[in-house]
Amino acid sequence: MPVIEVEALTRRYTTRTGFRRRTRKDVEAVRGISFEVGRGELFGLLGPNGAGKTTTIKMLITLLLPTSGSARVLGHDVVAEPREVRRRIGYVFGGDKGLYERLSGLDNLRYFAELYGVPAREQGPRIGELLELVGLTGRERERVEGYSRGMRQRLHIARGLLHRPDVLFLDEPSIGIDPVGARELRQTVASLTSQGTTVLLTTHYMFEADELCDRIAVIAGGLIVAEGTPAELKSRVADGHVVEIEVFDGVGDRLDAVRAIPGVTSVGVEDGGHSQLLVVRTDAAATVTPAVLGRLDGLALGRVATREPTLEDAYVELVRQA
Amino acid sequence: MRTSLRIFFLGGLTSYRALFHWLTPWILIPTFVVGPIFQLLFFAYVGRAAGVGDDTFYLIGNAVELASIPCLFAMGNTIGNERYTQTLGLLLASPARRLPLFLGRALPVVVNGFAVSFLVLVLGALVLHVSIPVAAWAPLVAVLAVCAFSCTGLGLASAALALRVRETAVLSNIIMGVLIVFCGVNVAVSALPAWMQSVAQVLPLTHGIEAARELVAGASWAAVMPLVRDEALIGVVYGAIGMAMLFFFERESRRHATLELA
Ligand SMILES: Nc1ncnc2c1ncn2[C@@H]1O[C@H](COP(=O)(O)OP(=O)(O)O)[C@@H](O)[C@H]1O
Ligand SMILES: [Mg+2]
Repeated sequence: MPVIEVEALTRRYTTRTGFRRRTRKDVEAVRGISFEVGRGELFGLLGPNGAGKTTTIKMLITLLLPTSGSARVLGHDVVAEPREVRRRIGYVFGGDKGLYERLSGLDNLRYFAELYGVPAREQGPRIGELLELVGLTGRERERVEGYSRGMRQRLHIARGLLHRPDVLFLDEPSIGIDPVGARELRQTVASLTSQGTTVLLTTHYMFEADELCDRIAVIAGGLIVAEGTPAELKSRVADGHVVEIEVFDGVGDRLDAVRAIPGVTSVGVEDGGHSQLLVVRTDAAATVTPAVLGRLDGLALGRVATREPTLEDAYVELVRQA
Repeated sequence: MRTSLRIFFLGGLTSYRALFHWLTPWILIPTFVVGPIFQLLFFAYVGRAAGVGDDTFYLIGNAVELASIPCLFAMGNTIGNERYTQTLGLLLASPARRLPLFLGRALPVVVNGFAVSFLVLVLGALVLHVSIPVAAWAPLVAVLAVCAFSCTGLGLASAALALRVRETAVLSNIIMGVLIVFCGVNVAVSALPAWMQSVAQVLPLTHGIEAARELVAGASWAAVMPLVRDEALIGVVYGAIGMAMLFFFERESRRHATLELA
């Protein structure tokens, strides 16, 4: 039996703005997604901001009712049996909020241990174990208001694990922490799944999903646009090459001309501060590169390189099509 | 059951420490001791100058009423501030029973409210040279506790509303104003217009203040018992309204995403 089963899940938000003349606005945040996650699997929901990742997680952790469709976690329906679901899952979100600043890290953990009904005599050892796991041993008696972002995030993880949840939901856990901290976090997450915990993680970082996840669903505009192992997603763009050209002048008005070149599958521009990076996907790099350079004639160009497609290219491609 | 008891007692105290951000001596002493004594003296001297009421009248009225500072503001903070810390989503995602989770936060507030009342009563009696019969002290202390309880009930209802409208202090200030005017704190309820007298009957503190004054005037506990019972009942009703609102808002928030969870 899958640990997480999601079927045709949708969620619409209705917002009302204005005081005297109330106007209603509907946002279709999640528009019918389905997926399954097996025991011990690390499943990634990868998508840009506003794709519907948090909304999906909130439905799975019972904070939000679906507009339609259904979801079950460990066999329990998230609408009909919220308490059964809540007991068995952990929830951690990124950023530095969500902690009691005035309390010590230890008191934050103790409080949530009570909320999750961790028996009094198990609390001490369990908290000690988790502080060790996330590397906060020795700092636990300090008030959280003095913690760094990375320390807060690690405290969050410890909090989410207090009751040994079978399923852990991580909503953009590495947001805003430095690369070293993010790497440590990934190691911690990876070690959880090796102990049998099922993890559903959302992220907008490709490499994070690539490095961690057994399976990824790419979500954009409230729809799952692709699903598979990182290798499978990469193989979708494996045939072909990526030509990258650094341009120092505005490249905007030449894009259509580049797109028109036979053999070009897509064209993108990434802003790099003092220069722009023109990213051209093609299945015939040898002939396309000179043609692209021809169309850019007269512009100040920098580095020109041809490379294999990465997961990031696959992702950008998928999200753009959505 | 055991878990719920722990959440009620330990969890409640932790939340109070976590979210009532006045818990530092620099705020605590001015707000709970200095300010209240000034309020008492102000009304007592106005009363003396105008030749209405005696010091005892003001001492009792204000001592009981001043419990409303913690009862409203601390209660508002310990529930309403969950939104600012963005911990509300985490609370609601937990399997903890909501009744002990929120009600437990009221207990330290009741104690806090009682402590302020008691302190004002003792300090005020010393400053104004009011002598309270020795026999009246024990029942008086009980009445102060019941009033702190009932006012916290109102505080819980106001805190629940605050969670939804995202503003605790404004509401608490308005309610404090209502209490000081309507409940016979500095003007006897009987001297108020009829409609205000009716409103006073359904507010906390009114019955308690009356009971406390009767005790000081020599009444027995048995004689004030009905008043104390009504005072407690009013607290229970407001507390129940507050809890019902919290349950309702949680349900509604799952449907309409109205609590802006995390
Ligand atoms: N409480 C809300 N009310 C109205 N719209 C919302 C609310 N929460 C999210 N949305 C909208 O729903 C869409 C999906 O949001 P979200 O699930 O937070 O995306 P993600 O987590 O992938 O960035 C966005 O367009 C967002 O603006
Ligand atoms: Mg999000």
